[in-house]
Amino acid sequence: MLRHFATRLFPRLMLTGALLLSGCATTNTGQVSLQEVREFADASARLGGYAELARRYRDTYEREQPYLSPAADKLAKENDAKRRAVFEDFVAIQKTLVLYMQTLSLLAGDTRYDLSSRIDDLGNGLKANTESGLQQRHITAYTGMTRLLTRVIASGYQNRSVETMVRDGDADVQVLLDAMIQLTRLYYKTNENEKKTILGIFDVEIPFSTRNSDRMLVTLAKVHYMNKATEYKLIDRRYELALQGLTKVALGHQKMRENLGKLSSDEVRRLLTNYGRDLRTIRDGLSGE
Amino acid sequence: MASTSTRKGAVPAPASAAKETPAAEGAVPGGLSTTDQIVELADQLSACADQIHERVMSEIRSYGGKPVPDKVQATARALLEDEVLLRQRANGLYADAATFIVKALGKPQAHLVKLTADAAEKIRRIGVIGEVTGLVAGLIGLAGAAATGQAVPVLMALEKVHKQVKAIEALAPKPSAAAKT
Repeated sequence: MLRHFATRLFPRLMLTGALLLSGCATTNTGQVSLQEVREFADASARLGGYAELARRYRDTYEREQPYLSPAADKLAKENDAKRRAVFEDFVAIQKTLVLYMQTLSLLAGDTRYDLSSRIDDLGNGLKANTESGLQQRHITAYTGMTRLLTRVIASGYQNRSVETMVRDGDADVQVLLDAMIQLTRLYYKTNENEKKTILGIFDVEIPFSTRNSDRMLVTLAKVHYMNKATEYKLIDRRYELALQGLTKVALGHQKMRENLGKLSSDEVRRLLTNYGRDLRTIRDGLSGE
Repeated sequence: MASTSTRKGAVPAPASAAKETPAAEGAVPGGLSTTDQIVELADQLSACADQIHERVMSEIRSYGGKPVPDKVQATARALLEDEVLLRQRANGLYADAATFIVKALGKPQAHLVKLTADAAEKIRRIGVIGEVTGLVAGLIGLAGAAATGQAVPVLMALEKVHKQVKAIEALAPKPSAAAKT
């Protein structure tokens, strides 16, 4: 969904960017095009990392299962069920935040796209508190955010400026980002135990296999170990990048909230340009292996 | 360039975070009742698993590449299994934290964390590898009890680990020279 949107939007963005660079601070329906806000919001919407890592978290059991003893497998199955029960909610938060950033990007630009079909995505809401996976304040923020987005999108953006959107949205944006950061840390920690479980078995068993007849097995085990160690090293980097990105998005939005009314000033524009650039760098790091 | 303020764990304080803390949501204060507290215990259990692994590895290294006796291998394998179980327990608590299942425990959570930290230290310093097993078994029991979220089993398990930590203190005055830590 996001990727589809991004591929549609991207060429036009480039065009808009080029027009703006050539010096016309475009106005349309009386609104100033805030290029930096738009770029920041767009980079925030396209950050990536979180959804992929949430899926990886959900699929922990599939990866670790072959290495587990029956006793460990029993516990791992229970954990698997817990993780799967709440996966949809984890993804819903991200979808909402992406839609918010896309809407903000559109408000800050001078072109109009119809996002109303996307409102349906918001309809389902999060599950009831008891089984949901989120703290009450996260759920409150989610509800507030969907309400704001529904209002803004359904009204065709009339009477909505970037300023009011940022002002009305900031508290909820921050809570949702906080939830995503907390969850990403839990994904990271879970992955750490998975890594140590899998690699740890080889740490111990390889030195125990000293008979000549073990040689082929030991060789294969060493190759497998190296592959797994490389896989985890790469994935560790992705958790770090995802956390950095989410933190940047939160900071950038907070700066906008603090500078309402001054969003066109050189200082704020420079600040947002930096955040937008950092986010694109992080995104590149996440997409290149 | 991702320049400033990208340190791991840097959370921007959300404007609305202060007004509604998790503890205000019907949890018993001092219990294992907030996401942070559940995560902290899970972190400690993971750290204990790390210490078990490190202890086993130092034992294996002490043979300097020479064959490790069967009896030691058996102990090492048993401890490795325990290590994996602890990691599963820790991951279960991470999943609980993610789902924020609030379970009230009557025991101050700081006590839990301190005890598991003591246990990790004991595992690190213990001289004879066989002595680790009893303590690790106690930890596994504690981890299992914590996963139930019920106070009574946790208190009983806590008491058991506490006794084992004490017993090891009495038994092993100094770390052995053989075990490189």
